[in-house]
Order: sequence, then structure tokens, then C-alpha cells
Amino acid sequence: MNFSKFQNQARLYVIGALEAEELEEFEKARTKFGKKGEEFITKCYALHEAFALSLRPAKSSAAIKERLMAMVREKKES
Amino acid sequence: MERTKLIASTRRKPKKRVRLAKSRARPLTAAPQLEPGAPSDLDLMQGIQAGDSEALSQLYDRYNGILKALILRVIHNEAEADDLLQEIFMEIWNQAKNFSAQKGKPLGWMVTLARRRAIDGLRKKQAYQRAEERLKNETEQQPDAWVHNATEEEIVLSDTRSLIRKVIRGLPPPQQQAIDLAFFKGMSQREIAAKTNTPLGTVKTRLELGLKKIYDGLKELKDEL
Repeated sequence: MNFSKFQNQARLYVIGALEAEELEEFEKARTKFGKKGEEFITKCYALHEAFALSLRPAKSSAAIKERLMAMVREKKES
Repeated sequence: MERTKLIASTRRKPKKRVRLAKSRARPLTAAPQLEPGAPSDLDLMQGIQAGDSEALSQLYDRYNGILKALILRVIHNEAEADDLLQEIFMEIWNQAKNFSAQKGKPLGWMVTLARRRAIDGLRKKQAYQRAEERLKNETEQQPDAWVHNATEEEIVLSDTRSLIRKVIRGLPPPQQQAIDLAFFKGMSQREIAAKTNTPLGTVKTRLELGLKKIYDGLKELKDEL
């Protein structure tokens, strides 16, 4: 696998869209490209942020945050 | 509206262990812009790692809207989305020690975590069939409904978000649909092929081309900002 194909596969990998047989090949290439490959994969995770930011933010009730913070306080005290 | 909430949240006086934001190189995608002096996402994550619940409170105020939108996009159920949102922020609190700034930014880590939990939730709660039915209807009636045309609400959003939406809207609808099904529904290429009655090779090409265009668009966006 050349680096250009690795880049295409990496973008599919970060969104979990590689098929099992592709995943095996991708992992081999990942080892082959080492640090350069890992750096590219890290960059690809920016796609996750972009997809989330592309959505219109949704409202949630204040009660959710109150419950969350109560659970955190409880956990800290235990 | 979200921006107003964000500004309000960042005006709170941060605790001492939450360091003030420093100017840094612009990341590939930018989170909503912060008030000068507001703690950065990384500052807040470090605060959470140190056990500061106020840091979690601020991070929640900053991103609950985005994460809930992501969860809703996956499970399409308001009550379940609220429950999951709470669970996800609790997981952020519990798993913060596993976050490493070297491997990415806090928002990316949170989105990855939220997406995984939402897709797991979708499957575990056996809502999959119902969601599939809804998805089938959406697929047939509104295949490119991921991003909508700009509304008044969107106009007040940051330029970053508008530009990201512009990049996605610029994709041909079949590419948008393939990425939407893979990212927000956790579908494999084969599942997408079956769902859309499209050859597997075509699905793969759509995903590869669409993701490359978005990735390249984000790089250009970084240069513009």
C-alpha cells in the first residue's frame, strides 16, 4: 500500500468504515509508515470534530447538568 | 444562542488550577471562539484531570449543545439523548486521565467518545429496528438532510461552523449520504451498500472522495481563518 492509499484508508478508519479485510491490510501499512502514518491518523480525527460542528446545536434541560454535577460531587465525596 | 450561552459560561471566574488560555497555533478545525482570557478546552481538560468539577461544568456549558446534536443525529430520541448526554459527560469525568493532548484535541476526543456511546446505545437499546425504519424513510425522502440551508440561527454561528457546513453542502448528495450513514449511524460499507441499493465499490468510492474533499476543505479552512 502506498501512502496515498493509506491516507484514503485512514480517513475511512477514523470513522469506523473499514471492512474487516481492509482493516488487516491497513494495520500492516500503519506499522510500515510508523510515525508519519500515526501523525496522519491523528489529523484525520479532525473529521470527527468537523462532523459534530456541522450539526445545529441541540438544547438540553438544566436538570441534566444538575444531575451530572450531583453525581460528580457524590463521586468526589465517596 | 449557543454562543450567548458559551460567553455567559466563560465569564465565570475560573478556579486557580484552570490556567488562562494562551495563544496557540490554529488547529485544523476550530471550536467556537472564546472570550479573551477564557480557559481553553485543554485548560479545562487538565482541570478535570486534576479533579476540578468547575472545569467539567464549564466544558459542559461549552459543548453540551454540540454533543447532544451528535447523539440525536444517531438515536433520534430526545429523552434517550438527554440520558446519554449525562452519561457521556460522566464518562468524560471518569476517563479524563486517558485523554492525551498529543493524540488530539479535547473536542475531538469528546466527539469520538460520544459517537461511540451513541452508536452503542442505539444497538443496545434495541432501537435499531425502529431507527432503521426512520432511516429508511429519511433515506427515501430526504437523502441529503445532514446539513440544511442557512437559517437565521445559523447566521449568528461562528464563521468556522458555517464554513464547515459549506464544505459538506458542496459534496454531491450521494457522498454526503454515504458519510452520514457511516459516521452517524455506524454503518459498514456493506450495510450502506445494502441500505442504499448501491454496489459496494461505489460506496467505497463515495466515502473516499467525500472524506478527502472534507479533509482538504478543512485544511483550506485552516488557512482562511
